[in-house]
Amino acid sequence: MIEVHGLTKRYGEVLAVNDLNFSVRPGEVTGFLGPNGAGKSTTMRMILGLDAPTSGTATVGGRPVAEHPVPLKAVGALLDASAVLSSRSAYHHLLALAASNGLPRSRVDTVLEEVGLSNVARRAAGTYSLGMRQRLGIAGALLGDPPVLVLDEPLNGLDPEGIVWIRRLMRRMAAEGRAVMMSSHLMSEVELTVDRLVVVGRGRLIADTGMAEFIASVASQEVVVRTPQAVPFAGRLAAVGAAVRTTAGDGNDDGTGLVVTGLEAARIGALAAATGVELHELAPRQTSLEEAFMELTRDSVEYTTEAEAA
Amino acid sequence: MSQGTVDSRRTRLKRPAKRPAKPRRGSLRTVPPAGAAGRATFVHSLRAEWIRLRTMRATLYVVVATLVAGAGLATLNGSSAGDEYAAMSAADRLMFDPLATSLKGVILAQLTLALLGGLAITSEYGSRTIVSTLTAVPRRGRVVVAKAVVLTAIALPTGMLTTLGGFLAGQSVLESSGAPYVALGDPGAWRAVLGGGLFLTLAAVLGLAAGIMIRSTTATVTTLFATTLIVPALAPSFPGTLANWTTKFWPPSAGGQIVTGYRDPDLLNPWPGFTVMGGCVVVLLTAAFLTFRRRDA
Ligand SMILES: Nc1ncnc2c1ncn2[C@@H]1O[C@H](COP(=O)(O)OP(=O)(O)O)[C@@H](O)[C@H]1O
Ligand SMILES: [Mg+2]
Repeated sequence: MIEVHGLTKRYGEVLAVNDLNFSVRPGEVTGFLGPNGAGKSTTMRMILGLDAPTSGTATVGGRPVAEHPVPLKAVGALLDASAVLSSRSAYHHLLALAASNGLPRSRVDTVLEEVGLSNVARRAAGTYSLGMRQRLGIAGALLGDPPVLVLDEPLNGLDPEGIVWIRRLMRRMAAEGRAVMMSSHLMSEVELTVDRLVVVGRGRLIADTGMAEFIASVASQEVVVRTPQAVPFAGRLAAVGAAVRTTAGDGNDDGTGLVVTGLEAARIGALAAATGVELHELAPRQTSLEEAFMELTRDSVEYTTEAEAA
Repeated sequence: MSQGTVDSRRTRLKRPAKRPAKPRRGSLRTVPPAGAAGRATFVHSLRAEWIRLRTMRATLYVVVATLVAGAGLATLNGSSAGDEYAAMSAADRLMFDPLATSLKGVILAQLTLALLGGLAITSEYGSRTIVSTLTAVPRRGRVVVAKAVVLTAIALPTGMLTTLGGFLAGQSVLESSGAPYVALGDPGAWRAVLGGGLFLTLAAVLGLAAGIMIRSTTATVTTLFATTLIVPALAPSFPGTLANWTTKFWPPSAGGQIVTGYRDPDLLNPWPGFTVMGGCVVVLLTAAFLTFRRRDA
C-alpha cells in the first residue's frame, strides 16, 4: 500500500509535483499516467525516499521507506532500467543489493531464474540488451519479495515479447496480493494491464479512477444520425432527454448530421421507426482510450495555464 | 512467483528462526540473513560495499598501479640518485634524503588511491546505480560510512605495501649504486613507511569525499589531479607568500612530509604535516557526509 498526501516538489520555478493525493492498493495494478514531464518519476522518487518532498508525505506500508527495518522487503523498485555498472556482472549487482539488506544469496539465484537471466548472470552487464537490463532491474525489484512494487516506465523500449512478459508479471504480482504501481506516458501501454488509473498532468492529479469506470465513461459516447427530417427528429430526441447538436464543425463534415449523446443507437433507431423518420446513417462514434486520455490531459494543461494566469 | 511462493513467504514471516544461516566464504560470514524479525544493519552495508568495490574493474588496476608506482619509482629514483650523489657538492650531500628518495612513488600513489576513492562513488552516479543502492538502503549515512570503511580496508594494506615495497626496493638500489641508504631499523624509517601508508589511506578517503560532493567522474578526476599533483608542483611559482604558504600547508604537500628524512626548516615536520592532511580529510568527509544525506539522489 502506497499513500501519498499533499505531495509537492518544487525545482526552482518548476512545480514538478503539485499537491498530489492518491493511494496504490494491494491486489491491484495502478497505472500512473501522464504526458512526459508530468511529474511521474519525481513522484516515484519521493515515494522511494530518493528525493525529499518540498511538502507533503509519501508512505509505503504506513511509514516512510527509510523506516522499514529491511527496505527491500517493503518495496521493490525499477526506476532506471539502464542503471547498472557496465563492468559488473548481473549476479554481483544483485548480490550487493541482497547483502545490503541481509537477504540470503539464494534470493539472487531465485530472482535471476525468475527473470530468465540465470545463463548470462556472470557476464558484465554492459553487454546486455535493453530488454535484458530491464529484466535485471525487475530482478532487483523482486529481491526482497516485497508487497509493493514501483516501476517507472517498465515497458519503455521493450520488444513485444518483453512487453507481454512484464504485463503478465505485473498481473501475477497483483493477483498475489501485492500493490503494483507502474508509470507510463501512453494509455495504450496500460489499458490492458491496470485496474486503476491515476492520471497526472503538470504535477497535478487529473483523475483517480478504476479502469472499468474510465472505459465506461468514455463509452458513454456519441451517435451520429443522418436523416432528411433532421429538424423535427432533433426535437423528438430532445423530448426524450437526449442532447443533440449538429455535426457542423466536426472536421470536414458537411454539417447535415446530428450528434446525439445520452441515448443508445438502438433506442434512436426504435424512435425513428416509431415516428416514421427515414434514417440514412446511424453510427456510434467510439472515442479511443488514447483520445480520451489526451483529452483529459490537454484539459489539465489548459486549466493549469488559466490558473497561473489568474 | 507462484501462489506457493507467497505462502512460503508468509510462513517465513512467522518463523524466521527456522532458517539457519548457511556458512559462506569471506570474512563477514557470521552475519545472519535478515529475517522478517531482523533488520538490515551497518554490517550488511559493509558486505554490500565490499562486493561493490571488489567487483569494480578499476579497483584491481588501481591496487596494481599503486604497488608498481611505489616500487618502480623507488628503483628508478634510487639508481639515478647514485650517479647524482657522486656529482653533488658537500652542501648538497647534507640534504640528500635516502628515505624520501625511496618513497617518491607516494606522490603518484596518492593520486591513484584518491582516484579509487573517487570512483567508489562517482561510478554509482555515472551509472545511476546510486538509485538502487539508496532504494535498498535509504539510510544514507550508513552507505557513506560503509563505503569509507571498505575503501580504507583496501587502501590501508595497499598503501602500507606500497611504502614498504618502495622503501625496500629503493634502499637496495641506493646501496648498490653507492649512495647513502638507510635500513628499516634506522631512525625515522618505520615512521616513513607506516606513516606513508596512512597518508596514502587518507588520500583515498579524500578522493571519496571529493567524489561524493562532485558526483561527476570526469570532474572528480580533474579535481584530484589538480589537488595532489598540479598544485604542489606549481606552488613554488605562486606569487610571494602564497608560494611559501601553499608549499608548507597545502594538505597533500604537508602530509607528504611524513616520508622525508631531511628536515627542511621552511616545511612542516612529518607528524604536524600529516595532521594537516588528516584534519583536511576529516573536514571534507564530514562535509561530504552531510551533503550526501540532504541532497536528492
Ligand atoms: N532534478 C531536477 N531539477 C530540475 N527540474 C527537474 C528535475 N527533475 C525533474 N524536473 C522537472 O520536473 C518536471 C517533472 O519531471 P518528471 O518527474 O521526470 O516527469 P515524468 O516522469 O512524468 O516525465 C519536468 O518539468 C522536469 O523538467
Ligand atoms: Mg519519467
